Amino acid sequence: MKVGLQNNLRLGIVFGIVMIFLMLIGFNLIAANLIGSFFNTGDADVLNMLLFIGLVGLWLGATAAKQDNLWLSAAINGAIAGAVCGLGLAGMVLLLGSLFEAGVTLSTYLAQLVPSTMKAILFGAAAWQAALVNWVIFALAGALGGILSYLLRLEGWRKRLSSIWVRQRASTSQQPIIQAIRSYPRSRMIIYGLGLVVLFILPLGLSQYRNYIIILTGIYVLLGLGLNIVVGLAGLLDLGYVAFFAIGAYTAALLTAPQPHHLQWSFWVALPIAVVLASLAGVALGVPVLRMRGDYLAIVTLGFGEIIRILLKSDLLTSFTRGPQGVNTIGGPDFHGLSSGVGFVYLIFLSILLIILVTTRLQNSRIGRAWVAMREDETVARAMGIDVVKHKLLAFAIGAAFAGLAGALFASQNRSIGPEDFALMVSINVVALIIVGGMGSIPGVIAGAFVLKGLPEILRQLQDYRILTFGALLVVMMLIRPEGLIPSRRRRLEIHEDEPELTEGTTAVEGGKA
Amino acid sequence: MKPILETRRLTKFFGGLTAVNQVDLIIPENSIASVIGPNGAGKTTFFNCITGFYQPDDGEMIFEDRSLVGLTPNAIATMGITRTYQNIRLFTNMTAMENILVGQHPRLKASWIEAILHNPREKREEETAVVEALRLLRFVSLGGLGDQLARNLPYGAQRRLEIARALASRPRLLLLDEPTAGMNARETSEMTIFIRRLRDELGITILLIEHDMRVVMGISEQVTVLDYGVKIAEGTPGQIQRDERVIEAYLGHGAASGLNISADTAAA
Amino acid sequence: MIIGVLFIFYLVYRIYQLAAHPAYGPDTWLRFAISGLILGSVYALIAIGYTLVYGILFMINFAHGDVMMIGAFGGFFVFEALDAIHVPSTSNPHLTFLNAYPVIAVLLAFIVGIGIASLTGYFLERIAYRPLRRAPRLVPLISAIGASIFLENAGQLLFGTQRRDYANPTILERGTGWNLAIGSGTVVVPYTGVFTVILSCLLMIGLYQLVRRTRLGRAMRAVAENKPVASLMGIDVDSVISRTFIISGALAGAAGVMWGIHLGLVFSYVGFIPGIKAFTAAVLGGIGNIPGAMLGGLFLGGVETLGPPILGIGFQLKDVIAFGILVLVLIFRPTGILGEVLTEEKV
Repeated sequence: MKVGLQNNLRLGIVFGIVMIFLMLIGFNLIAANLIGSFFNTGDADVLNMLLFIGLVGLWLGATAAKQDNLWLSAAINGAIAGAVCGLGLAGMVLLLGSLFEAGVTLSTYLAQLVPSTMKAILFGAAAWQAALVNWVIFALAGALGGILSYLLRLEGWRKRLSSIWVRQRASTSQQPIIQAIRSYPRSRMIIYGLGLVVLFILPLGLSQYRNYIIILTGIYVLLGLGLNIVVGLAGLLDLGYVAFFAIGAYTAALLTAPQPHHLQWSFWVALPIAVVLASLAGVALGVPVLRMRGDYLAIVTLGFGEIIRILLKSDLLTSFTRGPQGVNTIGGPDFHGLSSGVGFVYLIFLSILLIILVTTRLQNSRIGRAWVAMREDETVARAMGIDVVKHKLLAFAIGAAFAGLAGALFASQNRSIGPEDFALMVSINVVALIIVGGMGSIPGVIAGAFVLKGLPEILRQLQDYRILTFGALLVVMMLIRPEGLIPSRRRRLEIHEDEPELTEGTTAVEGGKA
Repeated sequence: MKPILETRRLTKFFGGLTAVNQVDLIIPENSIASVIGPNGAGKTTFFNCITGFYQPDDGEMIFEDRSLVGLTPNAIATMGITRTYQNIRLFTNMTAMENILVGQHPRLKASWIEAILHNPREKREEETAVVEALRLLRFVSLGGLGDQLARNLPYGAQRRLEIARALASRPRLLLLDEPTAGMNARETSEMTIFIRRLRDELGITILLIEHDMRVVMGISEQVTVLDYGVKIAEGTPGQIQRDERVIEAYLGHGAASGLNISADTAAA
Repeated sequence: MIIGVLFIFYLVYRIYQLAAHPAYGPDTWLRFAISGLILGSVYALIAIGYTLVYGILFMINFAHGDVMMIGAFGGFFVFEALDAIHVPSTSNPHLTFLNAYPVIAVLLAFIVGIGIASLTGYFLERIAYRPLRRAPRLVPLISAIGASIFLENAGQLLFGTQRRDYANPTILERGTGWNLAIGSGTVVVPYTGVFTVILSCLLMIGLYQLVRRTRLGRAMRAVAENKPVASLMGIDVDSVISRTFIISGALAGAAGVMWGIHLGLVFSYVGFIPGIKAFTAAVLGGIGNIPGAMLGGLFLGGVETLGPPILGIGFQLKDVIAFGILVLVLIFRPTGILGEVLTEEKV
């Protein structure tokens, strides 16, 4: 029974630190309110807070007692862990609460601890009372959690559920209907076609706001697929992708806006020019960085992206780019009757379809194979006759071209752009969405864009904690699933190189399929 | 017979070390030639110079009347020289079929635009490539294993796959770096027969680095011996076996005297 | 090549122009130079941290700049806390601990700053890097980026978006120093600046001795050379790596406190750009090379302050200069000026 003591202590301390941290950043109030809305207890702050703490305590207890076979030891282990965590949290509550009661304005140093938040943390009572309550609840919840986990044998349940899931999947795929559909020759195409039709009809029915989310996500999907060619296919880690996005956007903007150059060209003329210029920039960046190895390439491209942003903002080029003010009243395409929201959604869809086509075709050609070979072993690839320089430049150019396309669409959809729209975070977001979604795989990139961009827009309540969660998500994803949510088969192989992989028997090789 | 490859005074330094020192070598077309020597003699460096990985510091390399000096490795590969590696360097996360398809790269002509458009010419080229890859797989006795990941193949199969990959671009000169390393007697003799087939059926010139004397003496028409980067002997297998300097290089100074070389290593 | 020659020509032209029609008097130049020296010594400290970690793990610790930020905040809170403690005194009714015992105050600030920065470095490695040691290079890099974003944002949530002013003790007040009469004006050699430079040098010398002379230093070099063999020699690789991160964090923390003392402003993103610049410095000097990182830092500090006036471009673009150097060095001489200690084979 005592075996778990050290473990419980450690678990308690870790949870304690996390809880204290969450309290300091004001997250527990938000979490409490979220829980409140989930359980429909309304705005009763105190109740919600207690619920929040109680639930965390339960979780802690359950984790601590994972291995326990006796309900008593499960309860004790849970209680110990809970008590340790609670002690830490209580101490902090006591400290901050006392300071607060003594009249210290905490929010000058800990920005989230405004009086209303403090009152909620203290349950509206005195500091020592709140501290005590915290401690006791954690210890009790911990014990309960331990017992719960013993009762439910959560580990066992997980295995049972997953085996049920697997069996269900197997049996459904054996169903005659499914078999019939699978064997029907063009079935895949028909399903995709139907999906496309749905996608096209959808925007007409959605609200302006929903369309806006789709447009934003769509632009990121476009950027993600473009960067996917550079990073996922050719294996070149570009952290400055935003530079090409900016070049495309500014080109379209400066050519269609009345200021500062008094050109008011049509969008449809500016668009291809933006794409070509961005592509040329891609080649220009590619030439010097070709010989660098991974990390350095990343930093150099990052530097390049920042240089472009600083230049765009600087006084030096203000007469050309309007500096920090940005460009306004950018011209857009004429959609012949459709609302511009819907029109842009269609444009973005079409662009995405285009890039999917290009990516797939390239992947299945000798260019795609050359890229994979370069990623695997550049030395040997060269010895096989692959012109590494040309292929890297090609990847850069095509990737940059699509960034330019996205930029032009972004600029005209937004109607105004400024240098701060092209900060480093954009590059990082795009890289993150590819990596989290699954590098090299098209469904993965799309999934990544939805998770990283679409979801936060919907979960507006967590607005302030978005970036924090983003950072944490990156680390967590790398720790538990570095190949991404929906990785390409090859990516999964590359990441788990030391593990033996079983292939699915020999099937007839289909050559030349799109 | 016309030489397919000729090096004159080929030299390569690494800092203070002269890895390859004024080596002259002539390889007749359609022959099987070997380069041997103790470890560290500069054999792999020599290969690396020919394939363009190192730029030689002095000397000439001429392949079918064209100079190789200063060319990039991919240019040299396109000219018709390919190689295998001492410690197999397949594309481990690609299938056998994909490895061979990559090997065909110099022979495929479709541009990236055609790849995107997927026009009939590109389609046909890809289909032909696949057929050719299957043929090569059968040629190296790996038929049916096309979808296997390269890293899952057994050792001998991997070696054969590497050769198939090197053959995929229809080279004129094939450099094999210790093709029988790690093989037992049976596998070695199979490989020996196979190498001879390559020359006989495909008309490829073979240049071999080998340590296994059975192989060297068995199939080579010409053997060149390097020691500390210097060519110390060259000739037929029989001549090399009796050469004093060669014996000393392998067995140490003074070993030449008092040794009876038996002629029981396999005759051609 | 051509670009380099053209650039040299432009430089010579500018120097001639400046000599003939000086835009700034010699006092201003001295001021720039001093500024550059101080900035450079801070960059050097941070750069050493990068180089240590890269040398041992072959990864760019993207979150290193944020460790510096944490150290800076640590020092900030110490000063604030000590400034709130009143000390009874007959001469000055408002005397606080901070000004009564400034030496202790500064010492405490450094101890705390260094302490929590080291802790942060330690936990960073344990949580975000150690589990990923065998993964392909991209994976720990993304983890590092994630950690950096997390730290920056956590800092912002915890401490607010407002930029904070370091409350130096009065004897170390920013802007005060020895006044030198040079040319037509007076140049102030700031106390904070001198303090920074001297402390930096001491720390750098200390670190160099540590790496060269102590057991830990030898162990660090061994692990950097060849991990499996080092572990076969009985070196606890994990522990050495942890301690490297602790040391690197300590240096960054010290740099953070110095930054606060001398430059005054701290906020949660304060580490981002100096981080990248310090990385540039480390690469400039040859990554993995400690004296290189020091020289690189000093060089970068100088170029950043003296560059814009010499080249005649605005100060806004000083970051561009830093990034530009980074790009150029990585393109033309990736092994750095003093030469890389690591070779391609090891990578």
